[in-house]
Amino acid sequence: MGALVVWLPAKAMFRLWLLWAMSLGHALVVASFWLRRPVPEWQGYLVLDPLGLILLSVVSLLFLFVSFFMIGYFQHEHSGNRTFTSCLFCLLSMMTLVSVSYHMGLLWVAIETTTLFSAPLISFHRNWETLEATWKYLLVCSVGIALALMGTFFLAIAAHDAHTLLLPAILNGASSLSLNWLKLSVIFLFVGYGCKMGLAPMHSWKPKAYGHATGMVTVLMAGGLTQCSFLALIRVSQICYKSGLSDFYASILIFTGILSLVVPAIFLLGEKNIKRSFAFSSVEHMGLLVLGLGLGGVGIFGALFHMINNALAKVVMFLTAGSMAQKYGSSNAHEVRGVIHIYPVTCVFLLLGLLAGTGMFPFATFHSELLIINAAIITKHYTLAGIIILCLAVIFIGIARLVLEFVYGKPTEPVLAKKENLFINITIASAAVMLLVLGLWMPAPLNRVLHEAVALIGA
Amino acid sequence: MSWIDVSCILAVFLALSLLATHRIVGMIKIFALQSFFLSLVPLFMSAGAISGRTLTLSLVTMAFKAVLAPSILFWTIRHISMRSEVKPILGFGTSILCGSVLIAVAFWISLSLRLPGKLVPSLILPCSLATMLLGFMTMVTRTRAITQVLGYMVIENGIFLFALSLLDAMPVFIEMGILLDIFVAVFVMAIVLNHINEEFERTRGSSSRPKWGESN
Repeated sequence: MGALVVWLPAKAMFRLWLLWAMSLGHALVVASFWLRRPVPEWQGYLVLDPLGLILLSVVSLLFLFVSFFMIGYFQHEHSGNRTFTSCLFCLLSMMTLVSVSYHMGLLWVAIETTTLFSAPLISFHRNWETLEATWKYLLVCSVGIALALMGTFFLAIAAHDAHTLLLPAILNGASSLSLNWLKLSVIFLFVGYGCKMGLAPMHSWKPKAYGHATGMVTVLMAGGLTQCSFLALIRVSQICYKSGLSDFYASILIFTGILSLVVPAIFLLGEKNIKRSFAFSSVEHMGLLVLGLGLGGVGIFGALFHMINNALAKVVMFLTAGSMAQKYGSSNAHEVRGVIHIYPVTCVFLLLGLLAGTGMFPFATFHSELLIINAAIITKHYTLAGIIILCLAVIFIGIARLVLEFVYGKPTEPVLAKKENLFINITIASAAVMLLVLGLWMPAPLNRVLHEAVALIGA
Repeated sequence: MSWIDVSCILAVFLALSLLATHRIVGMIKIFALQSFFLSLVPLFMSAGAISGRTLTLSLVTMAFKAVLAPSILFWTIRHISMRSEVKPILGFGTSILCGSVLIAVAFWISLSLRLPGKLVPSLILPCSLATMLLGFMTMVTRTRAITQVLGYMVIENGIFLFALSLLDAMPVFIEMGILLDIFVAVFVMAIVLNHINEEFERTRGSSSRPKWGESN
């Protein structure tokens, strides 16, 4: 555990290889946690439970991919990467803190700090669009997170007998929580963290931020940051289950989840920018996660599995889109077309990203989406299952239309015909392979940890 | 009437007068004054003996919220050389009227919320809600980026006021973390504002700039 604290003072190291080495080290440490779980530190403030372990592994994996990708990316990039890499370091340490914090206040601090460190990452290419995107992201997420803070305080009032916000203490005293305050707190926490996660009514920052940030940043945000907030929502659901509010919470989750499927399905049909369309796809995946959590049972298993798959799919989708945007200097459909004639490998990845991102067989996303739909059917929400399937189909059509136009459309010349980059291709290919393997075969340790995590949530 | 209540009422009044102020410098000053009063509240709460913890909390809050954050905002407006009037979406009269309605709503809501146990029943709860709502209103009705930051800070002040009523549930380092985070948030926002301004200066007159110039 001590190794994790070492990441905190890391800053101002602007060598990409160093970043990669650090990510590799982080990944190795996390891998060792799979063999032997670390003991609680700081009087129980930092605990790594199976839920945290899943998130931590996802984050670590993402950083490994992204740092390797960056080595290739920055060969064609002339702007400095000093702030960029130091922000990445801080982001890594904060996301680690999110996954191990067992105190609702500390969790809030960590999540808020991730927002702050990711904001400079969005405005990496400093121009009007990225600055506007950063501003929107900062403002919407800060206000959302402020609401979550209010929710945390309401939780403290509800649990004022326990005199602490440590998770085990709240869970043990769950029967004595004051229900009215808890309900209020759940609503505030949900809106706050949901804002950060980009669930449907609060998703307005997403298309802008994802559309204008570079590929690496979007991967970390879509696969890492949003799922950090999802962990916070899972913690809330743990509390709700123990205190008998799970029906109330589940109804919120299911309603928002459905909304997060319907809204992107509508908007995707008219979208012309590939990064923006992937951003809507991210809203959809967040909706699926929340739906799985709300439906309970096998749905939770599906949602947790989907956390991993979603992150891997995002690596394939956004890194491909990012490398393409770098080659063409744009990601709009009318400027980039017929990529297959110039960059066949990138194109293959784009098609893979389409299949993985929309949950097609044999990728693991198919598996987890099926589990979530299954949960809807088991709990006799037949209309719900119908709506999910319909929305997924519409979203598939929406993204496929755009991607196919990119791939097979009448070719346009890229501004600077750059070569394919080995680093970039290796990264994307390995993510795709992992997703494929997970889709066909579930490793036993993963299965065990997922089951342990489901048992923790309880429902 | 205790000193806590006086400070709470002052906080709400200052939030309301923020709505009615049209010069940005004045708004920042009002915000600093509000933060100053709020940072005194922990001292009033510990009747009699003042523990080291409340003293630290009060001093750190004062440093961050009443001194550092306003000076960053002053630095920002000096850099982007903007003193001009704020164009609100609603007129000042209307915003005051809406603001007072919001205060009434906050008091009405807090009537139905009962604090459990031995938490001090005082004006803290309705006043913090009112401050938050007024902050939201500032954020929504003003179009400038910097006034939005100010609105955000007022919301945070409201939340801070509320947090004071549960001093015992949060350990000090978490409180410090929260304060630091809010401070850094303002800092980052100021930097982004600056970048926006630079970009604006660079592309002034060219047609490439989208129609989103309100932040200057």
